[in-house]
Order: sequence, then C-alpha cells, then structure tokens
Amino acid sequence: MSAPVTENVQSGGQGEGGEPSVQAAAAGKGRAWIASGGLLNLVGRNVALFIFLALVILASLFVENFAALDNAEVILKQSAIPAIAVIGMTMVLMTGGIDLSLGYVVGLASIVSGIMANTWFWPAPAVLASILVLGLALGLCNGLITQFMRVPAFIATLGTGYVLYGLAQIVSQGSIINRLPRNFLAIGRTPMFGLPSAVFLALAVAVVFHVLISRTIFGRRLKAFGFGARAAALSGVPAAWINVSVYAFCSTLAALSGLLFTVRVNAAQPNMGGGAFTFEVVTAAIVGGTSLFGGVGSVANSILGVLSIKIIENCINLLGVSYHLYLAVQGAIILLAIILGNLTNRRA
Amino acid sequence: MNIGFAARRGLAVLFPVAAFLALGSRVPHFLDLSNLLNVVRQSSITGVCAVGMTFVIVIKGIDLSLGGLLAFCPMISGVLMLAGINVPASMAAGVLAGTAMGLFNGLMVSKLTVPAFITTLVVGQISQGLALTINGGSSIGAFPDSFVFIGNGAVGGIPLSDLLLLGFLALGFFIQRLTPLGNHIYALGGNETVLRQEGLSAARLQFFVFGFSGFCAAVAGLLLSAQLDTVQPTQGDAYQLDAIAACIIGGVDLAGGRGSVPMAVIGALIIGCLRNVLDLLGIHPFMQNVFIGSIIVVIVYLSGVVHRQSELATRGTL
Amino acid sequence: MLEPLVSMRGVTKFIYGGDGRPLRNTDVKILEDVDFDLFPGEVHVLVGENGAGKSTLMRILGGIIPPDRGELKIAGARVNLADARDAREKGVAFIHQELNLCANLDVAHNIFLGREPRRRGLKDAGEMYRRSAELLKALSADLDPRLPVARLSTAQQQLVEIAKAMSFRSRVVIMDEPTASLTKREIDVLFDLIRRMRAEGIGIVYISHRFEEILTIGDRFTVLRDGRLVGTRPIQSFEPSSVIWMMAGRSIDEMYPRTHAVEPEPVLELRGLRLAAHTPPIDLVVRRGEVVGLGGLVGSGRTELAKSVFGARRFHGGEVRYLGRKTNGWSPARLIRAGMAYLSEDRKTEGLIPPMSIRENLSLASLRSVAKLGFLSRDKEERQAAKLIQQLSIAARSSEQLVSTLSGGNQQKCVLGKWLCTAPRLLMLDEPTRGIDVGAKAQIHKLIDQIAGAGVGILMISSELPELIGISDRVYVMREGGVAAELEAGPELTQERVVACMV
Repeated sequence: MSAPVTENVQSGGQGEGGEPSVQAAAAGKGRAWIASGGLLNLVGRNVALFIFLALVILASLFVENFAALDNAEVILKQSAIPAIAVIGMTMVLMTGGIDLSLGYVVGLASIVSGIMANTWFWPAPAVLASILVLGLALGLCNGLITQFMRVPAFIATLGTGYVLYGLAQIVSQGSIINRLPRNFLAIGRTPMFGLPSAVFLALAVAVVFHVLISRTIFGRRLKAFGFGARAAALSGVPAAWINVSVYAFCSTLAALSGLLFTVRVNAAQPNMGGGAFTFEVVTAAIVGGTSLFGGVGSVANSILGVLSIKIIENCINLLGVSYHLYLAVQGAIILLAIILGNLTNRRA
Repeated sequence: MNIGFAARRGLAVLFPVAAFLALGSRVPHFLDLSNLLNVVRQSSITGVCAVGMTFVIVIKGIDLSLGGLLAFCPMISGVLMLAGINVPASMAAGVLAGTAMGLFNGLMVSKLTVPAFITTLVVGQISQGLALTINGGSSIGAFPDSFVFIGNGAVGGIPLSDLLLLGFLALGFFIQRLTPLGNHIYALGGNETVLRQEGLSAARLQFFVFGFSGFCAAVAGLLLSAQLDTVQPTQGDAYQLDAIAACIIGGVDLAGGRGSVPMAVIGALIIGCLRNVLDLLGIHPFMQNVFIGSIIVVIVYLSGVVHRQSELATRGTL
Repeated sequence: MLEPLVSMRGVTKFIYGGDGRPLRNTDVKILEDVDFDLFPGEVHVLVGENGAGKSTLMRILGGIIPPDRGELKIAGARVNLADARDAREKGVAFIHQELNLCANLDVAHNIFLGREPRRRGLKDAGEMYRRSAELLKALSADLDPRLPVARLSTAQQQLVEIAKAMSFRSRVVIMDEPTASLTKREIDVLFDLIRRMRAEGIGIVYISHRFEEILTIGDRFTVLRDGRLVGTRPIQSFEPSSVIWMMAGRSIDEMYPRTHAVEPEPVLELRGLRLAAHTPPIDLVVRRGEVVGLGGLVGSGRTELAKSVFGARRFHGGEVRYLGRKTNGWSPARLIRAGMAYLSEDRKTEGLIPPMSIRENLSLASLRSVAKLGFLSRDKEERQAAKLIQQLSIAARSSEQLVSTLSGGNQQKCVLGKWLCTAPRLLMLDEPTRGIDVGAKAQIHKLIDQIAGAGVGILMISSELPELIGISDRVYVMREGGVAAELEAGPELTQERVVACMV
C-alpha cells in the first residue's frame, strides 16, 4: 500500500512508508480508494444489498409465482415485524454482545398486551405505551447484568430469556387470548396505501434508528465502542451507558414486535416468538453484514437481511419444501454468512 | 488437583442448595425409595450431557447444540430401528451422527474462529430442524424391546440408566484425571499461550472436546428415548438449560480452566432433585425454569467475584 | 580455554514497518552487529536502558524471534532456532518477566505439561509428583508439587519456572529482571540458587538494572546502548558512574525547538499520590506553558501515574489537583470535558480505532463540538479533519482513509490531532515518538513546543533520553513507583544524571 519513497518527502527522512510524489497524483485517486480499503469496503459494506438482489433475481427466474405483485406484498408484510426486532439486535451485536432473550420478550409482550387489551380493557394507546415500558425495563435488566455484573452477554440473556419464558407461561395460565378489541388491532392492521399500518410503523422505526445510529453522537460512540472499547473509553466514550442502552433498545423493540405479532394473528400467546424467532433475527442481522465481533452493522443492511431471509422462506413455501427443513437450512445460511463476514468485513 | 479446588468452591454453592433439599425432605413422597431412584434415572440424561459439557466449559466454550442433538440423534436411530435395522447398528448410527455434529462444532471454533456460542446455537438449530424434518414433525415410537430395556430395565436391581450414568462419570473422570489429554484440556482453559509454547495444538483439543460433547449428547438422547419409548422432536429443549445449570452448580467455572466431571454429575443430580421437589410441590415446569435461570445468573456472578480475587499474581512492584 | 556455551556474532535486527516487512535502509535498528558470549559456570549480566535491545537480543537467543543478520552458536554448533521449543530442546531456557504458568494446574502438572510421564498408556501422576519433588529439592525449594500454582507467591512461581527449565536439562538460563517483585529474603534464596546452578556449569544471562544486585551476583557484564554493543567487561571493573556513561553517554546532535515560556500557574498538582499500597507518595507539578518530562525505566510507574491522573486507573491515596480542583475519582470523560488529554503509549489499541476513518478518529474525543443537539454535522467534521490534516501534515489522500492504512508517524499525528480538538489545558503524552520515523519525530517535537507556547501544560513520558532532556523544562525521574529526583533544565540535566536516578 505504501507508495515508493521519493525525494519529495513531507515527513522527512526515510521511515515506515514514503509519501506519494507529484507524478503519482493522477493515479492517486484510484489508489486512495483502494488504500482506504475501498474495494473490500464496498463489498463488505454492501454484502446485504448484493445478496438481496441476487436472491430477487434468482427467485424471479427459477421460482414460479415469485415475481408477482401480491407475492411481493406478502413478503413485505412478513418482513415488517422482524425488521423492527432486527434493529435492536443489530445494535446489540454492534457492541459485540448478543440478546438471546429477544424471542422470549416477544412472547411475554404478546400475552401481556392481550391481557391489557382484553381483560383489563385498557385503551390501545395505553397498551402500546405500557408494552414499550415493559420492554425497556426488561432490556435495562439485561444491560445492567451484562455491564455491571460482568456476566457474559450470552449467558445473561440466556438466563433472563428462560426466566421470561417461564413468566409468560405463568401469566397466561396456559391459555391463549383471542378476539382482541378492534381499536387494539388497529395499531398494526389499519390499511394504509394497501398495506397494513405495521409496515409503515416498521419503516418509521427504521428511519428513526437509522438516523440515530448513523448521524448522532450516540451512534458514533456505539460504533467506536464496538470497534475498540479500550480506545473509546480512553477517548471519553461512556462504555457503561452505551452497553446498557443497546439492550434497553433491543428489548423495547422486541416488545413492540410482540405486540404487533399479536395484532397480526389476533391472538395473544406466551409462545409467540421464542427461540426460533431470536434465531431468525440473528440470522437476518448477520446476513445483513453485522459482525459478531462488534462495530460493523447498519439498520438498512439488517433490514435487507430480513427481506433476504423472508424471500428464502417465501421460495421454500412456493417450492413446497418442508418448513422444518427450512429451519435446518436457516442454520446453514447463518454459518455461511458468518464465514463470509469474517472474510470481508472491515475490522482491522 | 482440580477436584480439591472445585470441591471447595462447589461446596460453597452446594450448601444453600443442600439446605433447600433438606427442607424438601419435608415434601411428601420425596424420600420414597421409588421416587429417589426415579430422580436418579431422570437425572442420568442431564448427567451424561453434563459430562461432555464440563470439558467444553473448561476450555472456555459452551455447547448450545444439546437441545437439538437430544432429538436428532435418537430420531435417526429410531427411524432406522423402525425400518428393521438391528438395534446396535441403529444406535451406533445415532451416536455417530451426534459425534459428527460435535466435531463440526470443533471445526468451526478452531479453524474458522467462530465463537462457540453461535456455532453451537446454529448447529443445534440445524439438528432440531432435521429432527423435525425426518418425520414431518411428529413423534415416533414403539421401539424394539431391547432398546426400551436400556431406558427402563435394571441389572442386579440397579436401573440401567443409573449404570450408564456411572459409566460416563467414570469415563469423564478417567479422561480428566488419568490421561495426559486431560491435563492439556485444563491447560487450554487456563493459559493457551503456555499450551502453545509446549507445542500442543489447541485446535486438536477443541475438536476432541466438542466432539466428545456431541457424543455425550447423542448417548443421552438415545437414553431419553429409550426411557420414554418415543422420540419427540422437541424433547431436548428442557435438558439444554439443565445441563448447563448442572455444570455451573457443580462448580465448573465459565471463565475456564476449573471444574471437575464428578462435581458436574452431582450438579445434575441436584438439578434432578430440585425439579423433582418442585414437581411434587405442584410448581409448574415453567416456573421451575425461572428458578433455575436465576440460579445460573447468580452463580455466574458470584463465581466472577471469587475469580477476580484469586488471579495469578503478576510481577513488578505496581 | 573454555568453549562458550553460547556465541552470538554480528547479530542484527531491523525495525519492522507497519506492513510487516523489515526496514533495511534506515539508520536505526533494534540491534546492530552485536556480539555476545556466555561461558559455562558464569553469570553474565546484560545492562541497558529501555529500548537498548537487551530483551530483543535474548529473545533471539531464546528462539522467539529470528535474527536478520548474524550467527548464533550453541555449544559450538551453528543453529537456526525455529521457535522457543526448539531453543529449549537445545538447552536454552527463558525465565520471562511475565509468568508462563497455568494458574489452574498444580506445580507438577505445570512442569510436565506436554510431556506427562506415562504408565501403561495412562498419565502417571505418582511419577510426576515424585520427579517434581526431586527437581524442587535440587533447588532447595520447599514446595509441595500438589499445590495449585495460583496459591503460590511470585517467588515460588518463579521457582517452579526454574524447576521446569531444569527439568529440560538446560545449560543456558536467561533471566529477565527476576527480582522485580521479590522481597530481600526471596532475592537471597534466588541468588543461592543461581550460585548453585553456576557451580554445576550452567551459564546464566541475567538482565537487570539494579546495580547492587549486579555486583553481588555477576561475573561479567555487557552494556548495550541503542542496539549496539558498548562493551563487555569483567565484574571487577563495574563502576556505577562509568557504567552509566556506557549506558547513556551519547552526544546530543539535535537541537530541540524551544520557543515557549513557562507561566507560574499550576495546571496539575499531585500531592502524596500513591500508585500502589506500598509505593512512596508522589508530589509533582506541571505549570501552564511548561513541558515536564517523566523519565524512568519500564515498570517504574510512569504510565501508571499518567493513567491514575486521567481517571483510567485506581490509585491508593493522595490527591490529584487539576486546575485547582480536586479530581480524585473523576472519569476520563469528565476530565476530557475539563480539558485533560492523555495520549496513550499503545496507539493501536488505546489511541486509535484502526477500522475507522481519520475523520472519525479525530473527532472521537470531542464529538460535541462537531454536533448540534446531538446530531453530527458531517460538514463541520470534514472541515475540522481537513484543517488538522493540513496543520499536522498528516500524509493521507482523504480524511475518509482508514487509520489502519497510515504509517506509524501519521497515526500518531492523528491521535495528537484528536486531543488537540478537545482544546486541552493539560496534555499528557506517553512515549509520543516511539516507533515513528525521524521526520515525523521532528514535527511532533515542534508541535509540542507550539502547544506549550499556547499555554498548555504538558507532561511527557519518554524513554528516549535525548528527547526527554532536549524538550523538557523540568524532568522527574521515577523509580519503583515513586519519584527519585526532580531535575531542572540546565547543566545538571544530563543523560548520565537521569540514568543514575533511574537505577
């Protein structure tokens, strides 16, 4: 990468790598792009997009009934809720952690929202607000345990996940709540431009968090913390706050997902989500190029990851392949994505 | 060596749990011989898993593929048995499948530097998915008598399950204490740099440890299905948590390098007793999970505190 | 005439650049044309300042790194060591400063790790314990081989390492600062052991800077300076002032810029600061516009002092007063907001975030100043980056370049730039010119002068004596966790004087 040493040396003397001469300026721009890790960067930063486009093209060509407008609608509708959850998981992964309790927060939020709406007759806005607060509280627990009790994230969230699973079962007393009130269902089901409002809610959340992560101080600190916690701490980045807040965000968004799932199927049940959903969300985030080691991640790419996963699922359905086999295939996908990620991402 | 140290730490944790059990003796039917034998019989599954899991945790890893393997391996054996293949061969196939998955975990961890928790989580998911696929999601059962006997029969008055558990306990203990391999495994968990300096291969050890864990999971799964005379595709879920809890209660340190197989097996028995007592008290299995999940978090935290205070001294005046 | 156990001739080791390849065309090398011998039954002491090359020379002997030029003979035969294990097999054992044991195993299992004795295919623990006990007895060490290593004191752990070395029948034992954390009595025990090893014909290389110890135990000594051999002499001619001259007597050719003026107002005051429970209290002052140098050997506490002031490390007593306020217990973030800055000696893991761009690294400690209501202004950030790139002459094509692609000197300028953006009142620099080329060094010296001229108080840690003496208005020399001396710039501030205070 270093240009040949010439007489016109700004830093004086010969040392580690020389400086470019005037003649090299012409090729300088191209080299600058490569020098900034450009090529690898371009691929690495847009893996999600490439994968998504590749899938769309392949599916359109080889899978019957895929390239139809109502099929696209189905995929969009199915992607909306996982998209919300993946945003939170992406943030957690960016700090080098993981939230294995996500699916169980979904279940708990589902049954609690059902109870609030159906049994306690709370108005829809109150239910929505309470569920978000519930998610926030659960996330804070995860964050505090991971940050201050120094328990590794996967164990802490695994533990809290089981606890929440149990709680959800107890709260539901084994039953499912159906026939939820209409104003409650309106949260996610109100038709807007031909799509349920959940889709636009997801879009709004995505925009908000995209801005948060890519354009605010918080987002920059998050990225720095994920890439180099020590250097970040010595540069004044408050590690504790960042770590705790990502888990808080993750569970809040997971709770929102739980509520929206409930609305979508008009049933509040403690088994909503679960380990399988956690797994799906993690897969989507990783296919979207998020690195398990921290630092690398983006809302847009993770959502592309969700779309990609849903496209695969859609094709599996259209092709008549067993869903159970798909679960196994999903595992293979995540492994491939991890290996690819290890090869192309930016971490020095 | 390791037993002395682990025993001392395990004891500190076992004490409150033992107290709980003492109280549990006031629970009706808990101390009935038939109940206790049943407890051991059911704990044997967790116990066999814990034997494999101990080494994984010692090398600072974790094996989250247990749940899937506990369903996948017996599913393979079950399908073969029902297709008429003889029992020993079918069982061998199932065990082979589990060991292969474990070796795959080892490959991902050692050569591709994928963190253990993700790779085992994924492999577990894959196994679970395959278990569901093989029979379209429904369970299979009605196996040959010789197979069912393994789960439910007795030899000389002692249930075969218990003997199997003892056998694995002995195997694990053997590896840990009586082979150079055991020393290398603990060295890997203690200080990988030193291990490499001695020219030993961390990768080979990782292969073995994860492969062995897969092997244990496979056997445990077969044992479970033998006991129930059925293979339910989701039968492994409950044991995943219990195996980890058993190791942690038994003093196996998540930070690596410390813990012993016999103590982990005792941990499994304790978990079994705990569940049994809670069952007899009418407490819902899911509430039991809450309890056990909390225990794990608390113990990990406590062991982290203890660990930081007894770290290897560094040189220098500061 | 005895045949030497070890004979090193013309050993040269280049500095390696950021791309992993050696820089053969510079004047500065880590080691240049060094000769070194070790005879059986002698204790050969190796002396030198930080960066003199002692560790590197021994790492070559220990097989850890290969020489770029020169030859190495062990027991008369020319060898090319493949790795540490190879060296050990050929009879060379290295007792490092950082311990090389598994804390979770017991003594015997550590000693025989990888070569556990077997009986009928199984590990023979009995044999392990028996042989370990023998080895320990030969060292007069009263240790039970069944004890877990984590329970042993540092001195005992060191004995285990020596026992391990002896179990390989080593003829050459290298000891790197072995007495760093031993009590007087433990040192006596160690020296007895060394004498006995010597009597058996083992050759010992002893790296140390403690003159009294060197005189007690050494047979010969070698002084290295800036990677070159200054001389090898018998212990009888060891005379502190002449040894110090050998270690540090170099002519200072360079002129260091000095245009700043010291103002009386103190920026930083340390009162009775204790870095550890058992180290002496430290009193220290840095004034506005002053460059205060902090010298001392590695391990004397310089970095620990800076990190303690910066809130990145706990200290054990005393007061830190910054701009007149007591700042004990303040976090780095709070101190940064108040104008304190710390440029770490480890720029790759503590100074920079390599996968991020120059622009992002520059703004990291001062995000608020390029943001409005929490939203980053890309425009402001880019302008700030461009300004700094120009001011500091950072050689990069664009501010979007990843800092991992920059050379060492430019990386350091980035870190400096980051701290300049925080408008510091106190700037602490930890080895600011280590590992960077001459041109960049000169630039940084000039910058330091300019920054001081703007009224910033500067505390500079440096192992390079000419730089330390040339730039500082005052120098504190640290030794074993406390301040050994305070020297004003002027005739008494010489390299020899500083080294004399260090040891």
